[in-house]
Amino acid sequence: MQSDRLISKILLFTDGSEGSIYAAKYGIVLAKSTGAELKAIYVVNIDLLKQLERARIFVKVEELDYERDLEEDGRNYLRHITELAAHKGLRIETELLKGTVHKIAIQKVEEWDADLLIMGELEPILSRSDTFHDETELIFRKARCSVLVIKDSERIDKIYETLP
Amino acid sequence: MRLSAMLRREAIVVPLQNTEKQLVIEELLDAAQRTGRIVDREKAIDALLERERLGSTGLEKGLAIPHARTNAVDGIVLALGVSPAGIDFQSADSEPCHLFFLLLASEAVTGNYVQVLALIARLNLQSGFRRKMMDVTTADEALEIIRQAEE
Repeated sequence: MQSDRLISKILLFTDGSEGSIYAAKYGIVLAKSTGAELKAIYVVNIDLLKQLERARIFVKVEELDYERDLEEDGRNYLRHITELAAHKGLRIETELLKGTVHKIAIQKVEEWDADLLIMGELEPILSRSDTFHDETELIFRKARCSVLVIKDSERIDKIYETLP
Repeated sequence: MRLSAMLRREAIVVPLQNTEKQLVIEELLDAAQRTGRIVDREKAIDALLERERLGSTGLEKGLAIPHARTNAVDGIVLALGVSPAGIDFQSADSEPCHLFFLLLASEAVTGNYVQVLALIARLNLQSGFRRKMMDVTTADEALEIIRQAEE
């Protein structure tokens, strides 16, 4: 059930990119100034690993090996975001998920009843194929709540640093 | 992420000179080395051959993707070899391989590495791509076909 506040639950999508770290900083600033809850998610792209195994590019042992490493990467990114939030005296919930990235992220928006999704800058769309395969693009277009795409990294850094 | 942006012309071999599996991998590695991002060649070849021991990276429809993760390279290194005549690479469909993408990545970039493998597989599914690549005579032509396929 959503509250009457304009922003009460902010979901932060991170994929470990530089852009998503700036998005995290912006999310922290926004959560602090609005009093909204903040939750960060990272989705291990299991779907892609399985596709590569089905295409015989990976053997099973590689698939499992990479899955474990991507999980570890995800944990590290989420830990980093938790530290960024703690540095500003903010508590943040994190969740490591697995599956088809855009489907899981969109599902989480609904499950958690987020009213704002924050993400890093999108990659430029250079072909029609990008619109089908770029996971962040798909999240941006399909999420049912408002989506904030963070740009202007220098400014975000300054805002984050000046936040007490 | 674009293969055409990642692939340097000096890392493209047209046509491949060798026909024996290990020598083809070494020839591709020589090309990859021209990018200046291979810090330990011996370690890189060991990683590639170790991966081949798990199962051939010769796939279907003339494509082979010798690949490995190793800290013998800095970031992601990609090389391309074309063999119009075809090379026996113990591929999944027992057909000769014509296109060889060699991919090496350091352990810190697993996410991007997986993405690049998916891009190569997707590129090879495009109708006409393989046929056009069979006709290339220079690295520039190969790069242009990849660029066009990605647009």
